[in-house]
This record gives sequence, structure tokens and C-alpha cells, in this order.
Amino acid sequence: MANINLKIIIAEPSVIIRSGLELLLKRIAGFRIQIVEVSGVESLPDAMRTNKPDVLIINPAMIGGVNLSNFKEECSCLSVKCIALVYSVFEHTCLRMFDEQIKIFDSADEIRHKLERLNAEEVVSMEESDEQQMLSAREKEIVVCVVKGMTNREIATSLFLSTHTVITHRRNIARKLQIHSASGLTIYAIVNKLVELSDIK
Amino acid sequence: MYKKGNYRETDKMSDLICDNYPMLLVMSRFGIALGFGEKNIGEVCRMNNVDTCTFLTVVNFLSDTALGSVPTVSECLSLESFMTYLHNSHDYFLKFRLPQIRAKLLEAISNSTDDVTFVIRRFFDEYAEEVNKHMLYEEKTVFPYVRAILNGETNQKYNISIFMKRHDQIELKIAELKNILIKYYPGASNNMLNSVLFDIFSTEEDLASHNQIEDSLFIPAILELEKKVLNNNGKHKP
Repeated sequence: MANINLKIIIAEPSVIIRSGLELLLKRIAGFRIQIVEVSGVESLPDAMRTNKPDVLIINPAMIGGVNLSNFKEECSCLSVKCIALVYSVFEHTCLRMFDEQIKIFDSADEIRHKLERLNAEEVVSMEESDEQQMLSAREKEIVVCVVKGMTNREIATSLFLSTHTVITHRRNIARKLQIHSASGLTIYAIVNKLVELSDIK
Repeated sequence: MYKKGNYRETDKMSDLICDNYPMLLVMSRFGIALGFGEKNIGEVCRMNNVDTCTFLTVVNFLSDTALGSVPTVSECLSLESFMTYLHNSHDYFLKFRLPQIRAKLLEAISNSTDDVTFVIRRFFDEYAEEVNKHMLYEEKTVFPYVRAILNGETNQKYNISIFMKRHDQIELKIAELKNILIKYYPGASNNMLNSVLFDIFSTEEDLASHNQIEDSLFIPAILELEKKVLNNNGKHKP
């Protein structure tokens, strides 16, 4: 399965716990995780605004009784998922406003499942796209045109498509192959014998 | 795993390098040679006429693995030293690293068919040209501008925000080459190809952190300088 990119802010005053969690998160397969550490509540709103994280893992004690939805609005991060990092006793009502909880004795697998559940939509769409990693016949035709140096308009005319459709195809090709440049596509096309060297010189 | 910063000038230079060997590159880009014995970072810097604060700023920025954290640009930073470092980094990539990868890559794929070697070589050469343009712009436009404002000249036509807008990530395309080789390279596995892939992995990281240094340390320092120079010039006007 392709990796899911996640940007996570860990807000936790203890450097020992922060670094431990960071190490563990980076080892989880299936995710490519970028982490920003925040140690004090003062710098949290700024860190949220500049980094726009997908997930905030926070020690609930850091924000006391603050209402999370107000906080998200304040940081203009409405879609961020909030996970409580729980290693002491908190009142039930305080934890209810979080999307998920990570407990101090959670295993790496448990944390992985929690992240997958929180990002269920993306996991599903990644799995779908996994099945469609192969290029369609139409997309291969377009790759051939691109590596021959044709413009989008020329490709559209020769394949009887609209330029708009050609652009959509090209975007899908780039996404499926993770190749964004014409010279990269040329290598792909030669290696997969879609074109001959004489076509592109 | 590397040890996390905060190195101080009283720490031994050899400890810094052994803890965190990519710092070897930082050291040599500042123009410091090996063979410094038991001397500490401050002593080695002074012996080599390198500004210690600038050296430590770069070292601590790079050795802090949580790169998202916004560093505070220290007052003591020497932009002249910084530019020497950046210039030597450019030289390293353009005159040493990329040509070396090119030679190794061509040798690694020399058993492939002509068409495969042709397209891979063309990809690499186009990429090297992009890096060259990217770095040349900094050498020809940005550095002279910074030297001019260091001398107190204000230039109405240029400011560093122009550079901020056009400063793109140069490691993406070499990452693409790496992905293509890993996913689609048709030949048999060979040691030279693995070795060149290792080089590409580390160069990709090196280029990314080079860019990060420019974005997070160099540009903010120039923004501060621009502010200072503007204020000063304002004061002198009647």
C-alpha cells in the first residue's frame, strides 16, 4: 500500500515523552510522518497556524478546560484531528471532545490502528488507487505523445479529445507513476517499450 | 541515530563530527580542514577564521531532527561567513557531487541497451542544468544584493522577498530519478547501481537541508538586515 503523508504536531511538555512518541510514530509502516514538537501551550497556536497539521497529539493538561472546537477555529485549523495523549487521570468530559486517545501503554500496532481509523477516508482512497496503479490504454497513448514532445493541444487534436481531458489524463498519469517531468516519463516509456529511441531523438 | 544539537563552542570538534558525520560536509564547506586534534569548536573556528556563531547556528539547525521547529536567528550571525558556506555548498554540488553521481550512474547502467542509457543520461543532464541555474541565480543575484545592503546601500529594484517567491525545491527531481530507477530499471541488480542509489538518497537529503537552511536561516537574517538598513537610511534623511 502506498504511504499516507501526515503532518503531526506533538504538544507535550515532557521531552522524554515527546521524543519517545516521535520515534515510535516514525517507525509506523504505511505512513510518512512529519513531526513538529511543541513543548509549551504559548507557542501552540502559532505552530498550528504555520504548520497546518493533519493531526494534533496533545497532552490534555496543556489546554486545561479550553473548548477544542473554539481552539481549532482560533488557529484556523478546522479539519485537524485531535488525539489526547493520556498518561494521567482526566475527567471523562474533558476527554470526550477529542477524536481519539493514545494511552501511554499503547503498542505501536494500536497506535497505527488509531491513526488509520482517523484517516479512514484516505486509507480507502489509497487502497482504491493501488488497484489502479497501472496505466490505461488511453493513458499510455498520452504518455507516448508527451515523450514525443507534443503539446497538450496537439495531443488533443490527434486523439480527438478536449485539451481539458488531456490535462486530466496527464494529472492521473503523474499521480499513478509519481513521475512529474517529461524527461522522467521518457525513461518510463523507453523502459516499458512504449516508444523507440528514434521516436524521441 | 545522530545525537541532537545544541553544541557549544567548548565542545570538541571531533566529538561533533563523530556524533553526526554529515557535519563533516558542513565543516569543509566553512573551509575547515581535518587534523584539528583535541581542539574545541571555538578554537578550530578561530584558527580557520570562521565565525563561530554562524558555524554553530548551521550545525545546531541541522542536528536538530525536529526540523519543523522555527529557529530564532541569532543576532551574532555573520552573513559574510554564511555566504561563504553557501557558496562552497554550491561548488560542492555543482563541481563535485553531481558530476561524480553522473559518472557512477553511467558506469552502473553501461550494460543496458543504448536507448535506456540515452534517456537516463538525458534526464540527469537536464536535472544538473536545473540545479546549476538555481544556484547560479543565488550566486549572481542574491549574494551581490546581500553584499550591497551589508554596505548600507538600499536597492529599490530588488529585495529578498523576490527570492523567497522563486526559491523552489531542487531535490524533487532527483527523488524522481531515484524512484524511476527503483521501480522500473530493467537491468540485473548490480553493486555500482546500489552505490549510486545510496549517493542519490544522501544527495537528496543534503539538497533538501541546503534549501531549508536558506529558507529558515539565511532569508530571515536578510529580512532583519533589510529592516535595519531601511530604518537607518530613514533616519539620515532630513
